Amino acid sequence: MAYEPPVTDYDEIVENGTCAFCGCNCDDLDFLIKDGHVVGVRHACRLGASKVMEDMDQRLLVPMVRDENGELQEVDWDTALDKAAELIAGSVRPIFYGWSETSIETMKHGIHLGELVGAVLDNQATICHGPSLQAVQNVGYPVATLGEVKNRADMIVYTGSNPMNSHPRHMARYSTFPRGWFRQRGRFDRTVVTMDPKYSDTAKMSDIWIGFEQNGDYGFYNAIRAALRGKEIDQDFVSGIPKEDIMELAEAMKNVQFGALYFGLGLTHTLSKQRNIDMAIEMLTDLNKYTKWVLTPMRGHFNVNGFNIFMALEMGFPYGVDFARGYPRYMNGETNTIDLLTRKECDVFMVIAADPGAHYPGGAVKHLAEIPVIQVDIHWGPSTEIADVVLPGSFIGLECAGTSYRMDGVPIYMKKAIDKPETCRDDEWIIQELHERVKKIKAKEAAVASK
Amino acid sequence: MTYIEKPVVPKVVKLEEPTATERKILDMMLNTGSDIYQGACKKRGSTCKDEYRKVCGVAYMDPKDMAKIGVSNWDSVKVTTDWGEVTVSSVHSRDAPHEGTIFIPKGPWANVITSHETYCCCDPTYKGIYCTVERTDEPVLLMADLMRAVYKKYVEDEETIPELKSLGEMPVYKKK
Repeated sequence: MAYEPPVTDYDEIVENGTCAFCGCNCDDLDFLIKDGHVVGVRHACRLGASKVMEDMDQRLLVPMVRDENGELQEVDWDTALDKAAELIAGSVRPIFYGWSETSIETMKHGIHLGELVGAVLDNQATICHGPSLQAVQNVGYPVATLGEVKNRADMIVYTGSNPMNSHPRHMARYSTFPRGWFRQRGRFDRTVVTMDPKYSDTAKMSDIWIGFEQNGDYGFYNAIRAALRGKEIDQDFVSGIPKEDIMELAEAMKNVQFGALYFGLGLTHTLSKQRNIDMAIEMLTDLNKYTKWVLTPMRGHFNVNGFNIFMALEMGFPYGVDFARGYPRYMNGETNTIDLLTRKECDVFMVIAADPGAHYPGGAVKHLAEIPVIQVDIHWGPSTEIADVVLPGSFIGLECAGTSYRMDGVPIYMKKAIDKPETCRDDEWIIQELHERVKKIKAKEAAVASK
Repeated sequence: MTYIEKPVVPKVVKLEEPTATERKILDMMLNTGSDIYQGACKKRGSTCKDEYRKVCGVAYMDPKDMAKIGVSNWDSVKVTTDWGEVTVSSVHSRDAPHEGTIFIPKGPWANVITSHETYCCCDPTYKGIYCTVERTDEPVLLMADLMRAVYKKYVEDEETIPELKSLGEMPVYKKK
């Protein structure tokens, strides 16, 4: 990569900003600001920096509605909000999906709106760590904060996850490299193990790489469990790994002082889904008979955990909460976005700070092409190509403040550094305004019905 | 600089392997997932640009597999699964060797061919899908054109899609 000279031309520095990218929520970013714009960012990784130094060409700046020719037409806020409220109020089975890249304050209004119209509220967990949450419901959650791992852990295991690509500062800031209270020499005091069929960038810098075969996670953890319980492993190879290596690894895992296991989408996206994670958690249960082991899912968006924690607190269920019957319901395979879309049940889809156009499998997007889609986001993306109403929001953690939850469940208040573009609105205001307008339409309908 | 136009990929070295017999179609396993180039480009917001096509519309392949179907870096290949087919560029994987497996970073290209089957576990199967890979001359579409060609939401006559003008690399909307 070409050399880039440091940015020296700026008016002020806003210190200790929070990164709004991945579940690490690094809260030590410094924004360099000139004339109300960010010209540089310090301490962020490549991903965090790319989000802060956004592409203004594709920033959504004005509300838009599709006209009869299928072209997006710039309109004023009133028209766009009325159109969206009309769609939501007239829907039978709406889904409000997204929420992971917005603040808890916005979700609060989202719940009010969802309850009013009987919507399904779902977030990105439904396509990434949903099975992890099911496994937690099945077999428990030996959780620790990232700080605890930094200060104590002497063995770090990444399984089905590639933090060097998707959480670039995770190893540098929380798990592997930093010096901790009991790990004064940092990296030298820790053993890093990567379990991944791919020789990923994380595997390249680990001490041990276990390249079990594709879909081999379940069998492999079972073999480790057998070894931990002192059972003989019948086969010479389990999931492509020799029996002796499995015994050796189990012994090594038993003999650490504090171990931490991080798992990613490699476990949740393969065929055994939540059963993989069940097994990983039960493996830790077995390990905890000998020493201390903890586990944390590697959450992808900065507030994806926030939605799950907030919904679990407010409604009792973490995601895929269905208000169609007037009370919250949650059932896997029934009230989840992908299932509802592939069964063609949904009739209005609102996406808040997410990109189903890019990240849903084709079979689900095909139904989005048949129904009205309302988008609340900051950038023009694949979802805008299939959206009927577009409402430009603002950038949480930079242009507006808000609360988010880190991957280990620590709430962090993200402060504001600059003003948002004049024509944009806060996500919180947009959802609140939609709620007000839908309430008015519903009240009018009720008045007519009573006559 | 937070972003470069193309991901850095190793040069393809044509392997004179006796086992690498030339073939028209390869049976492979498809994995999708996040990648640092894809993540940076997506969250920066540059999804309409050619950059996004260069980071997401690519299949990371083992050089031996590339030799078998006779493609080099940035040649087009057609990937077909039970759920659809898509044209992407083939590039030499940084994580090779992984013969028999291809990796397409998550994005609109990968998701044309991933499985929406959740098996009642809420999560679609994005990894470990059987696919075939073959050489093609078709170009890799830009994001906006791909969404129009695949999902056809605002197209009146589906048969005219190949003749339509490209939507280009900038957002298209009517200003007030």
